[in-house]
Amino acid sequence: MNAVAELVRIRSLSELDIARIVAIDERLSGVYRPEVWERRIMYYLRRDPDASQVAEMGGKVVGFMLSDLRGGEFGLEETSGWIERFGVDPDFQGRSIGRKLFEAVVEHLKRQGATTVRTLVEKKDSELATFLRAVGFKDAPLTALEMRIGLSAAKDQN
Amino acid sequence: MNVEQTTLPKKYHDAVLHWQRHNFPDYGLLPENWQKYFPSDPEFCLCAKMEVGMGDEVEVGDAKGAKRREKPEELGEEPAKHLLAIIRAQASTEFGSIQQHEGTFARAQDDEDRFWVLRVMAEELRHGYQMFHLLVSQDWSGVSGQKAEEMVEEILSMQTGSHVLDAFNLEYDSFVDNVVFAAVIDRVGKYQLSMQRVCSYKPFAASMPPMLREEAFHLAAGVIPLRRWVQRAAQGNALITTSAIQKAFNKWMPRGLEMFGHEKGGESNIRFGFKNMKNAEAQGLYYEECKRMIADLNQRYIRARLPKLSPEDAEALATRLLKDRARHDGISHEDLIELPAKGFFRRKGDAAFTMVGFAEEAFTDVEEYVRHLAAHLPEPYLASRDMKHYVESLRQVVAGTITRDQAMKKMPALKRVGGMCPCSKSVRWVVEEGATTLPS
Repeated sequence: MNAVAELVRIRSLSELDIARIVAIDERLSGVYRPEVWERRIMYYLRRDPDASQVAEMGGKVVGFMLSDLRGGEFGLEETSGWIERFGVDPDFQGRSIGRKLFEAVVEHLKRQGATTVRTLVEKKDSELATFLRAVGFKDAPLTALEMRIGLSAAKDQN
Repeated sequence: MNVEQTTLPKKYHDAVLHWQRHNFPDYGLLPENWQKYFPSDPEFCLCAKMEVGMGDEVEVGDAKGAKRREKPEELGEEPAKHLLAIIRAQASTEFGSIQQHEGTFARAQDDEDRFWVLRVMAEELRHGYQMFHLLVSQDWSGVSGQKAEEMVEEILSMQTGSHVLDAFNLEYDSFVDNVVFAAVIDRVGKYQLSMQRVCSYKPFAASMPPMLREEAFHLAAGVIPLRRWVQRAAQGNALITTSAIQKAFNKWMPRGLEMFGHEKGGESNIRFGFKNMKNAEAQGLYYEECKRMIADLNQRYIRARLPKLSPEDAEALATRLLKDRARHDGISHEDLIELPAKGFFRRKGDAAFTMVGFAEEAFTDVEEYVRHLAAHLPEPYLASRDMKHYVESLRQVVAGTITRDQAMKKMPALKRVGGMCPCSKSVRWVVEEGATTLPS
């Protein structure tokens, strides 16, 4: 473990992390969308604040991983942990922050009875897929399917 | 979750439900609307939850390393008395906050905010229930001098004005209080619960993690509406102005700081292994956390006004506006929110009745200080019984007719009410087994 990694503090999500998560997302996506994160973080806080973790360096949140424990999704009756949102400030990438967040989340999910952790990755997001494989994810025997409906679907067909 | 759930013996469970009918009549709205506002969340359960897998060793204090205590008599008389006072105070805060919320929660302008507060209230009811579980599942009579029934009855009889801590004796003036209370006073709750997680009395320690998880939602139910309100205020579509929010902070922050106890205290809690921080240390961390909350709100306001600013630039602008008391790009320092000084409007602790101003100014003239308070506190609150008593006591302290210590002990001014249910003078909160009950 290098000196920088030792300074990373991993802790449970709190409502005061919204501003920094919004800022990290803005750096990653180029879009400022506080309303989205207020809604999402409220969801994770009311479900289980310990299932979502943030990484702090020097008192500043530099990464986050939001997850939830659910059963019965898509016919999967076993209780599964779902990792749904994840981000590390570009200035702090390459310092094992994602891995530390992942380990803390998995540790908590295991304690709560999860036997599997699941997630979905966009095919074009190869960087994220590489990270997830590096921490131990493998292809699942499930296929993600979707169908556009509504206005955008009509446009696509035209 | 890794928790064991348990319900109270029937007479206590019924007593809590009876109390709920009088003090929390809107409770029934929660199950009716649960799926709409909290889809896929496990349904609310009025029960005690004990975390499974808490360590068996005392973590701090004189008995560090020894086996955690599981019965009051294992604690020793003085620590048991001390812990009993903590449990009773905690129970009082849980039921007290419901009484406060109930007065104004229906005035929310947004249904989502209203149902968040309703869930907060239900979870506070569960937390009070949790404390009752601690009181009635073991025999405390050796240190309480009371039967369990009497302790429960005394707590259920308290009203706004007769609770143990001052913060729970103030009426709410509007829905702004529901939200600011959740952001400011529930935050003290989070600190207390976190500190008590180490408690050498195992049933109390095991009660903390489930309560803490729920408390995280309570804080969000305060902070997220505040974030939305300041954004709307910045966009000229203010349901709630930043000035109204500021005044509500000024009303609650001093009471929140006092909930930690006197700044010089907390030694016994450490010695007995009940908490892992002294009062001043915890209060200091709390104050810094509140500063951060306010800085986030100001950043949300500034970016709603000047969306092209980066988060860092917005933060720097807020700092500059507040430091220089200036105006920039149409934003004034008065549009932002500030934390009052630690000594502002205090009635307990180091700064009690010392006439410290909002920005830490020192006042010597009592009438000038009262005018200063009037300019910084919500108008409806100025006419409250609580404010009247505070000002009377302050004048007496300044005139030298009472000491600061005497003034501190004078608040709150109301006496405890008796142990009767308000629906009938002949029905007690806790009904003895086999006794005849009258319909409420």
